[in-house]
Amino acid sequence: MESSGQEFLRGTLKTIVLNLLAEPTPTGPRRMYGYEITQAVHDRTRGDLTLSFGALYPVLHKLEQDGLLLTDTVEVEGRLRKYYALTPQGNQAAIQKTSDFERFVRSVRSLLQSPGELLPG
Amino acid sequence: MEKLNDGQVATLRRHLLKTGTSDALIDELIDHLACEVEHYVWIGLPFDKALETVTDQATHTAVKHLRERYQVELTMSDEQLQKASLDDIVFQFRNKAYGAYDLRQSYRLTMRNAIIMAVSFCLMLVAILDGLNRKEWSYVSLTGLAWILGVAGMTYAGVSWYLARVREQQFSV
Repeated sequence: MESSGQEFLRGTLKTIVLNLLAEPTPTGPRRMYGYEITQAVHDRTRGDLTLSFGALYPVLHKLEQDGLLLTDTVEVEGRLRKYYALTPQGNQAAIQKTSDFERFVRSVRSLLQSPGELLPG
Repeated sequence: MEKLNDGQVATLRRHLLKTGTSDALIDELIDHLACEVEHYVWIGLPFDKALETVTDQATHTAVKHLRERYQVELTMSDEQLQKASLDDIVFQFRNKAYGAYDLRQSYRLTMRNAIIMAVSFCLMLVAILDGLNRKEWSYVSLTGLAWILGVAGMTYAGVSWYLARVREQQFSV
């Protein structure tokens, strides 16, 4: 189960990252660093899904290159920590990607149902 | 939560450098792995054991996989490729700060200036030798013309080289 979970995760990484960052916080727009994102995914799925650094950072840098994320590097305890936040364009992309994905899930669900259930009467 | 000290962070950096992590990612990965080590230390592992667990994850294969994925994800789009020079393509995932990129960028200008200087120098030399031979000097002659062209070429190449250097220093500051 683990391996196919990871397989599905690969295609939805951008959607997940954009969505996590799109959640509002009391202090304003959300900003997260890489490790925080992997922890958030791990905690919310109760350990079902784990995001490896090998998968996460290429996606983060790609989204930054596409102008969907802004970065801010801060020194924390002698290390450089890079925070990511959504740009206005990134916000729109998050909404768009989520609705696309929900449509996709509905389509897959109707594909997975046995044909008998679909026939009326 | 227990924080890693500078020496422990340096150990992580050495490990990542050894596995061939690219410059674009190293600082972020250090922070990432340091957070993981801190997490393991927090749940009760001794530092050495925590470090071992984390470095076992960040092996050559994992880092190589990361580098490959990175290059696939961040490669130039067709539109960017249309505009990119050969140097841009060659240096896309290489260290531009090292100096080779700058040398290649300024190669044409350096070459042009060097050729102008060499030709000008020869013209001036010929003019001087010719003048010494004849023991007389006139600007309104073939020798005079060669001298003037030589001085002009030298000045042009010199000024152009100087301006390029000034521009370079402005960028690097």
